[in-house]
Amino acid sequence: MRTVLRVFGECCVTAGAIVLLFLAYLLWGTALATSAHQHAFATQLQRQWQTHRDVRPATTRLHLVTGQPFAFIRIPRFGGSWRFAIVQGTGLAQLALGPGHVPGTALPGQVGNFAVAAHRVTAGNPFWHLNELRPGDKVMIITAATRYTYLITHTELVLPGDTAVLDPVPGRPHQSPREAMITLITCDPPWTGTHRIIVSGSLDAQTPHTGQHG
Amino acid sequence: MYRWLWQRLPGGTTSKAVCAAILAITAAALLWFIIFPWITPQLPLDHVMPGG
Repeated sequence: MRTVLRVFGECCVTAGAIVLLFLAYLLWGTALATSAHQHAFATQLQRQWQTHRDVRPATTRLHLVTGQPFAFIRIPRFGGSWRFAIVQGTGLAQLALGPGHVPGTALPGQVGNFAVAAHRVTAGNPFWHLNELRPGDKVMIITAATRYTYLITHTELVLPGDTAVLDPVPGRPHQSPREAMITLITCDPPWTGTHRIIVSGSLDAQTPHTGQHG
Repeated sequence: MYRWLWQRLPGGTTSKAVCAAILAITAAALLWFIIFPWITPQLPLDHVMPGG
């Protein structure tokens, strides 16, 4: 009986240690991998954009390849150092690299709905604080030659099945868009898949930039 | 379980301790680099896409 209890106790302690290690992996292990990719993406975009500028100045054409970066996102409320390269695609493989552009939705600055999804936890927790955005907050999308500034208009919680938030006019499937919108998506509450938090904004300004990457 | 393992490790206390540490690190590395990356996408954890 004592032996049985001891083995049971040891198994519990072992299981606890494994769960703790798994938590550490989710928080830091996946973040390390993502940050390595993000560093490589930053260098890659800077180089691409520099070549673009030398060859044909102020080009606005975007070249989208699944799993490849094409723009940076900055959200001042998340701090000056908060910056991620947005990759094309929102499969798990792409979201492990950073925030992903939902295929089929508009491009930055385009009339329609530019939708970006990112992990709340894991992969460097890009959208950990998404719920803290308030109307009027800025979201900056920086592409090769242009910086697009969107202003947050509203935040809502939806169920996972609600794909209408991705429509060109969110929630109105058959309307054609007249405005350039942005939609940021992550899960809520953190760690779970029960709801999605949707943060919407509309384009406020677009300015050409020649700096490294704003 | 752990006592049984400890008794089977070779040498004196120092040698046993070194072996135990190596075993523990190997187990942790196996979990961290192989099992956790494999299991993470299978969990209903942090799925962010609408409809997915």
